[in-house]
Amino acid sequence: MAKGVISASDQAEQLKQDGNLYFKKNRLGAAIDAYTEAITLCPNVPVYWTNRALCHRKRNDWKRVEEDCLKAIQLDHKSVKAITLCPNVPVYWTNRALCHRKRNDWKRVEEDCLKAIQLDHKSVKGHYMLGLALLQREKYAEGIKSLQRALDLGRGAHPNSYMVEEIWQELATAKYHEWERDSTKRSWDLRNLEDSCEAALKEKHSRDASKEEDDRDEATDSISEQLAALKSVFSKAAEDDVPIDIPDYLCCKITLDIFRDPVITPSGLTYERAVILDHLEKVGKFDPITRETLLPSQLIPNLAIKEAVEAYLEKHGWAYKMD
Amino acid sequence: MTSASASSRKALSKIATNRLQKELMEWQVNPPTGFKHKVTDNLQRWVIEVHGAPGTLYSNEVFQLQVDFPEHYPMEAPQVIFVPPAPLHPHIYSNGHICLDILYDSWSPAMTVSSVCISILSMLSSSPAKQRPADDERYVKNCRNGRSPKETRWWFHDDKV
Repeated sequence: MAKGVISASDQAEQLKQDGNLYFKKNRLGAAIDAYTEAITLCPNVPVYWTNRALCHRKRNDWKRVEEDCLKAIQLDHKSVKAITLCPNVPVYWTNRALCHRKRNDWKRVEEDCLKAIQLDHKSVKGHYMLGLALLQREKYAEGIKSLQRALDLGRGAHPNSYMVEEIWQELATAKYHEWERDSTKRSWDLRNLEDSCEAALKEKHSRDASKEEDDRDEATDSISEQLAALKSVFSKAAEDDVPIDIPDYLCCKITLDIFRDPVITPSGLTYERAVILDHLEKVGKFDPITRETLLPSQLIPNLAIKEAVEAYLEKHGWAYKMD
Repeated sequence: MTSASASSRKALSKIATNRLQKELMEWQVNPPTGFKHKVTDNLQRWVIEVHGAPGTLYSNEVFQLQVDFPEHYPMEAPQVIFVPPAPLHPHIYSNGHICLDILYDSWSPAMTVSSVCISILSMLSSSPAKQRPADDERYVKNCRNGRSPKETRWWFHDDKV
């Protein structure tokens, strides 16, 4: 009976998929056309509007971004209805959260995401937006945890998708800011402690000097030595917070950047997963360094390097800095 | 030196920009011997001075390499040419194009500007005679419309020089 209606929505869904594909390849014009057609077929699906808005955003066409988003929000207010009718479908909640996000209503984003996650523990979008909401509300530690979870889940599902890259960017930025806050406090505390130690040492020296008049020269030597030693102890304590070159063995030979998701080849070499996959697809089926034949199926996660990177980043938060 | 392909070039991708910044930083700390990067604010085109190695046919000679990076570097090779006057060499054409497999079919994203430079210097250093390729005139004529060497179908017949 409703055959025509069904095929229209199927067709619109297909157009959305096409649009997503074009979007990934940065063919924005083609993507916009695909979403526009989808909208013409099914104007009541908010995601077609938000996806098209994303294209306009890439083109810095902010007026159109605004129009499309307003339309999506308008539609999605009705998604309250959808939630009321079928409260157990997680995507209704995450879609509504997306609308709250566009309006910067972070408290509501948090609520809707929590509900979505409750329904689906593996909702990448749910964890991702929850993370953003928590960060916005200055719950940094929890926010970072949610983003980390979203990243792990996203990598499991689509290792080199646009979304995984976006989640990584947000996570790295959050971790960097966390380091900035913590290291500022650490260096402040160290500074104060060093000043007190220096003052105490000088005071002790002047007390000693007033007691024994004879060995003044010797005493002066020992105080300057002690002060130098104190300085070097404190600069050692601050060492981890000073950005330096990241060791080569933690960096991919192609990106020259610290590993995120390292994979090892049969030659024993480790590369960044998304980048080596790109190489195998675009350049050729060979290991970039040894030139031995290499197929995507031969790539294996390098968990040891991954742990080493995590340990390094834990200690040197500045290494999260992007660009 | 505004070839057709260079003027229609697309801006560097984020990955390419990031990687080139790292390469440039590494170069500044640790440049390959015999090369000097000429400072510009253009990350997408590097101009590099090459000094012929002592004890070779090109000692005391100085040449200029121009390296242009494509949008998807390092998934695509950079375009590397000598700015004329190019060195007299059996694999270097008078318009500056270089017949060297790693710049075309044998490119690998694990190579860097620095490693490419070293390969080019080693090619110069092992030259037995200062002469142009046999087909120089014909090749250069074919390239007159500003064609990029990356569009040439190269034959790499001799890997001794």
